Amino acid sequence: MSILHEVEAATPEPVQNSATADRESRGQWWRFALIAIISIIMIIPVVITVILSLRPGLTSTTAGFTFENFKYVFTSTDTVKWLGNSLAVTIGTMVVSVIVAAPAGYVLSRGKSRAVSGYSLLLFVIQSLPVITAVIPLFVLFARIGLVDSLLGLAIVYVGASMSVATWMMAAYIDSIPITLEEAAWIDGASLFGGFRRVVLRNSLPGVMSTAIFTFLVSWNDYLVAVVFLRTQTKYTLPIGLQSFFQQNATDWGSVMAVAVVMMLPPVLVFACLNRFFSVGGVGGSLAGQ
Amino acid sequence: MTTTTSAVPQGSGQKPTVKQLRKGLNAKFTLLLLVLPSLFLLVLINLYPFIYAFFQSLHDGSLIATGPFVGLQNYTDVLTSPAFWKAAWFTLIFTIVGVFGSWLVGLGLALLLRTKIPGRGTFKVLLMLPWVVPIVVSSTAWNYLLATPDSPIPALLNAIGINSPLFLADPTWAKITVCVFKVWVSFPFMMLMTSAALASVDGVVYEAARMDGASNWQQFRLITLPIIARSTYISWILMTIFCVNDFPTIYLLTGGGPVDATTSLVVLSYRTVFQNFQTGPGVAIAFLMTITLVIVSVVLFRQIKKAANQ
Repeated sequence: MSILHEVEAATPEPVQNSATADRESRGQWWRFALIAIISIIMIIPVVITVILSLRPGLTSTTAGFTFENFKYVFTSTDTVKWLGNSLAVTIGTMVVSVIVAAPAGYVLSRGKSRAVSGYSLLLFVIQSLPVITAVIPLFVLFARIGLVDSLLGLAIVYVGASMSVATWMMAAYIDSIPITLEEAAWIDGASLFGGFRRVVLRNSLPGVMSTAIFTFLVSWNDYLVAVVFLRTQTKYTLPIGLQSFFQQNATDWGSVMAVAVVMMLPPVLVFACLNRFFSVGGVGGSLAGQ
Repeated sequence: MTTTTSAVPQGSGQKPTVKQLRKGLNAKFTLLLLVLPSLFLLVLINLYPFIYAFFQSLHDGSLIATGPFVGLQNYTDVLTSPAFWKAAWFTLIFTIVGVFGSWLVGLGLALLLRTKIPGRGTFKVLLMLPWVVPIVVSSTAWNYLLATPDSPIPALLNAIGINSPLFLADPTWAKITVCVFKVWVSFPFMMLMTSAALASVDGVVYEAARMDGASNWQQFRLITLPIIARSTYISWILMTIFCVNDFPTIYLLTGGGPVDATTSLVVLSYRTVFQNFQTGPGVAIAFLMTITLVIVSVVLFRQIKKAANQ
């Protein structure tokens, strides 16, 4: 191998080019075939979900593809309700998380005192605690104040669960905004809060987007907290709804997969359209933690 | 309103300097106000439950009653129960396979995707799908593909003459299936982390190494690995935390069965509390898990520091 390279390097220009290019393109097609096969194998479960959702149901005799499964789950099951619940919880979590995490991230980024670094450490410790440890006592606490089996209670847990990573993400983004911008605003008479609101927030749209996507995924995909807190079928979010629907209709794959497609479409669309905001350290890390 | 320079109110007509604003009480107060909502939520949703959980682990209570104080009884009960050690053993296997399996697949694909390939961007997006799709959805699809002997994959294996195992009903095969499922879910994350690290390597370095006669393996071992070492350690730590804390990947595919073969510590803790209604032991399991996790993270963090100093 190594000798080959040296020989090539020593041979005259045109010959080397055509030989390397030839081998290069052959290697390219081999790699293309390899990655294509791997990709196809890897996405089989996703593709099969979509195909089954579009196949005619058990009772139907029609061939080809149809939307009747979707029609069925939307009209005769609680899917619409679950979708609404999931959307309400997710949007609520997203909005509150960003509103709470943005100012905290600002303090974390700009503050230099010992209290600030202590707060940063606290966030780190909390992030590594298993969710199950918090869920059990929260269940006891929420049962006392009537927040079990409530979407509000669920959203509160999600905001808390995503708070430390959301704050870090905002802090990391605000770090990249030069402080001179705020200093200029302060000299013009802006208060500290004014500088944050009018200068920093206005320039942190990508950071806000990443944080919002992260909290969206946390609350949209969560199973553990929802399965502990939700009891009534009409209050289910999509993960619990899909799971219970699957247990009750295990042979009716068309309908089950139609609900599954409803559930996976939002995250897939968000990823397809906004993948430039999927920063590795932030959204990346947290998503896999679900 | 006030004439002290340390607290300049807005709109007083007096123009505060940067120094005054930064050092002023007013600024400190604003900073506190900005951080207060997040601090409140952290204490309520994270810190308070954690402390309360420790309290629960020292009592023989239920979800509704505190119960009498029993000291470390729950911990000794848990540590002497075979179910705990069985779950701990499976958690260990699940974590090791999950971390290194997904890393190897992710690394391989990241290296492959770095080369010139037609349609590279499309493959990058397609290969992210297992990670973007919610676990509830993908576990349903895997159930469809594997669960019964008549499912597509066992049927296919039988058709081509391989006697298909019971992927989810045989204890050993269920363990393998759950681990493979975890690798399938997690490899895109590793691919993304490794790709980002590899992007920082200048192609000229490889060119130079090739000129010096380095083989592909030597290039990988002597150039690529050292460069991605730091990010690799970080992704190992993160994935270890994800695997140990994982609940849906296991629970939705097998429910912890058959005969508890795939019961991890989180699943055991969940079942102890919400199915057997033994809060104390359940929380004790979660705590023991947390302690182990913190120790493992610290050990791995040291490795990172070592790697960074090299």
